[in-house]
Amino acid sequence: MQVDHFDPPGNIDDFGGDANLKNLWTREMSGMFEDSVALVTQFLHIHNGGICQFYNPFTHGRTAPDLAPSLGDIPWNGFPKRFASTGPGHPTRFADAEPSRVTGQARLQDEYLEWHVNRNAAGKIVSIHFTCEAWDYFDFLAEHAPTKILQLYQTFINPAVTRADLFPGGSYNRLNKWNTALGAMHLTHSANNLGAEVFLAASATVRRQNQGVELTHSIPLIQCAGYGDDKRNSDPNIGIAVNNLARQGRMITLANPVGLYMSGFDGSGLTLNGQPAGGFFRVVRGSFPRALRAVYELPPAEGGAGHTVSDITIGGQALEFGGQLAERITMHLFGIASVAQDVHNSPVGCGPIPTAVAPAHAAPAAVAHTTRLLQARI
Amino acid sequence: MARATRSPREPLLDVADIQGNILAGFNKDQQLLLMLTLRDIPAARRWLRRIVGDISSLELVHDFNALFRKARASRGHDPAGIIATWTNIAFSHPGLSKLTSTEEANGIPDEAFQAGLPARSATLGDQNPGGSADPTTNWKIGGTGNVPDVLLIVASDSMGELTKVADRLRPNAGDGPGEPQVIWEELGQTRPDMPGHEHFGFKDGVSQPGVRGRISARPERFLTVRRLAPPAPGDMEFASAGQPLIWPGQFVFGYESTDGSSGSSGGPIKPAKLKPAWLKNGSLLVFRRLQQNVAGFTKFVQDTAATIPGMTPDRLGAMLVGRWKSGAPILRAQQNDIPALGVCPLANNDFLYTANSPPPVFLPGTQVPPPFAAAPADPNGFVCPHAAHIRKVNPRDQDSNLGDQFDTLTRRILRRGIPYGPPIHDPTTDDGVDRGLHFLCYQSSIERQFEVLQRDWANQTLNPVPGGHDVIIGETANQQRALELFTSGGTASQTLTAPTQWVIPTGGGYFFAPSISAIRDVLGAGS
Repeated sequence: MQVDHFDPPGNIDDFGGDANLKNLWTREMSGMFEDSVALVTQFLHIHNGGICQFYNPFTHGRTAPDLAPSLGDIPWNGFPKRFASTGPGHPTRFADAEPSRVTGQARLQDEYLEWHVNRNAAGKIVSIHFTCEAWDYFDFLAEHAPTKILQLYQTFINPAVTRADLFPGGSYNRLNKWNTALGAMHLTHSANNLGAEVFLAASATVRRQNQGVELTHSIPLIQCAGYGDDKRNSDPNIGIAVNNLARQGRMITLANPVGLYMSGFDGSGLTLNGQPAGGFFRVVRGSFPRALRAVYELPPAEGGAGHTVSDITIGGQALEFGGQLAERITMHLFGIASVAQDVHNSPVGCGPIPTAVAPAHAAPAAVAHTTRLLQARI
Repeated sequence: MARATRSPREPLLDVADIQGNILAGFNKDQQLLLMLTLRDIPAARRWLRRIVGDISSLELVHDFNALFRKARASRGHDPAGIIATWTNIAFSHPGLSKLTSTEEANGIPDEAFQAGLPARSATLGDQNPGGSADPTTNWKIGGTGNVPDVLLIVASDSMGELTKVADRLRPNAGDGPGEPQVIWEELGQTRPDMPGHEHFGFKDGVSQPGVRGRISARPERFLTVRRLAPPAPGDMEFASAGQPLIWPGQFVFGYESTDGSSGSSGGPIKPAKLKPAWLKNGSLLVFRRLQQNVAGFTKFVQDTAATIPGMTPDRLGAMLVGRWKSGAPILRAQQNDIPALGVCPLANNDFLYTANSPPPVFLPGTQVPPPFAAAPADPNGFVCPHAAHIRKVNPRDQDSNLGDQFDTLTRRILRRGIPYGPPIHDPTTDDGVDRGLHFLCYQSSIERQFEVLQRDWANQTLNPVPGGHDVIIGETANQQRALELFTSGGTASQTLTAPTQWVIPTGGGYFFAPSISAIRDVLGAGS
């Protein structure tokens, strides 16, 4: 695959016709790829592991045929595995997954999907807002399009949001009150960002071995390579899917637009007074399979009848937590893999890929982005 | 030596108290399902006390099955003279509530069971052909307003014996006024023309997990016979080729269950405390009456195969199922069926998806199977599509949207299905006869096991691995299901769309199969 630019996540029209913003975003994304390629290349060079099978489709696009797109699709469940049921008598800990937050406090939801539950004075759920937009994209907007970011908050969180709320002291505060205590504009968990996504995918192209045996299962692989959190649905699954393709000798990248997406919602069995209520889930930014933001709330007619979301049942169970719907959301990452190439990499021993680029191995662009990448590491 | 270290860790199963169909399986040619409603509770208790001595234990069923297998192995065919008739029983949430209390029935730690199948039916993707929001209104049994209290299962090698036992066990006036009433019954039978095959023609029940646990205090007496050498530390352990070992709490309350969390290596987790305590040795039973449209399926396979160069209907059917009709996995028989492989239990389930299947290391004394072609790694689904039925409901070593291969173990169920209705004479012509499968499965969490397989995997295009719906059992709002077949080394693909469902739920229920002591001392006790 080769691209001549990078689009914003979900092809969302945040840039309008601003060519400068588009170019800046392309440079931003390309930098993330360059960082990752440089770090992996350096690591492989040091360990005689071969060539980097991850590439930047903007600067080093490949003309080799790619596999059918679905072969690079990687899904995972949106509800955090660490809070999921572990067996009979050990129920899912929905309440633990969504404790109330205060300003400055990130959410605990770590599957690249976070949500905020709005309740009325009686504690009934009025709406549930889901986001999978990475915080580094919002950092970008904050730096280059502060008016746009304010507009997004006012549109999706509350018209009362002010610039001062978002930029106290002049700098964007990701963990401002509208993105923590009062809402969810974008992801807050430290791991939930595009830089981490790109670096994880790049790192997972490295073949690994432990005591001479190549690792081909997700958990031993991620524990060996250290490219993510082995307690999640997402990171191990992304890692092994990419590594499977790498072991087949393929060149790998991420599809444009790069993002972490909601690709589907299963609303079967949601009812309000016996009538289907799955359709109350609405994507409000992007669209399936690249949805960025969604809300679950009653249509005005239903809300006007005195109902709340708390009156919804799922297979006979009352809807009490946003996590019950997060369980029904499939998250998605879109990879791209080429046909098998003349690649003969060797498995490398365990240990994470260092995030510091030695000057001798670094491309100039990589050095500039190293700080960002360090921040992005999981 | 490794075997000696394995046995002490596995729990001693209460084989006299666990009902036999759960962990051993009846495996009979005839199986009668009787659904009952409880009217007068004292009469219901008297009836339970009368029949509890007929409830077949795990010990009886296991020992019989072992004897039967031994006789079959020595004679080379099923031993005609060795027969048995077994009975098991299970209760719905309303039934248990009547016999105990709603509070006690709610002690069963599964919200799906508590809600009941009518409330869960829509979450499974079931549709009402009449358009009602409640998919169950037309069901023959188990729909809203028609939920039975009790499911009685009587199974036998002999139809005559089955009838005699069933008649003896039916409630009668001797149980007192208001005795339980049979509100529905139906006979399931193995196909006389193709024993062990369901109505589409495919061998059923090939892949069953191996349940850990000992059946006597002797260290080497395992419920599931061990035929393979122990694996390397951290690797999945198999009882036989393709039969992973799962801790018994996955199917029966009160025992260690398989840990599906990351890095667990499938190790055991302690059972949760049961309240009430009489839940121990019980299991959750799902029954689904699945009507099969054989002509619709056959026509789809024939018509679609004709549009794909080089494809035959049988091979396309094998790609949709993941196995040929004989039971031979398509990963080990890529172009044509190999019937000898299909009937070889030590080879027909021996394959992985993401890695080349290593040759099994059998323990001494095991009759090594013939050298069938080994299963190659197929991580991309080029041979066995990701949407093939057996791959959708059990992705084996391939990670799913929910976790790794050990998480997948925690989704496994024990299937005890049997066909109902006569085989179709001409599978290309709809004869209007009602036929299908009495799908029965046991687990300790309907929500985490059966419902995940149906709702989150079979019905979805992206889960557990992207590639389309399970067109065999998957359900969607408009009945259309699609799957992707790859060509040209994966650089191109073809989407096949099934226009309608061939498997239609027409009844069912969620039940709890208690221990025999609970039936005797709790449910049947008192007046």
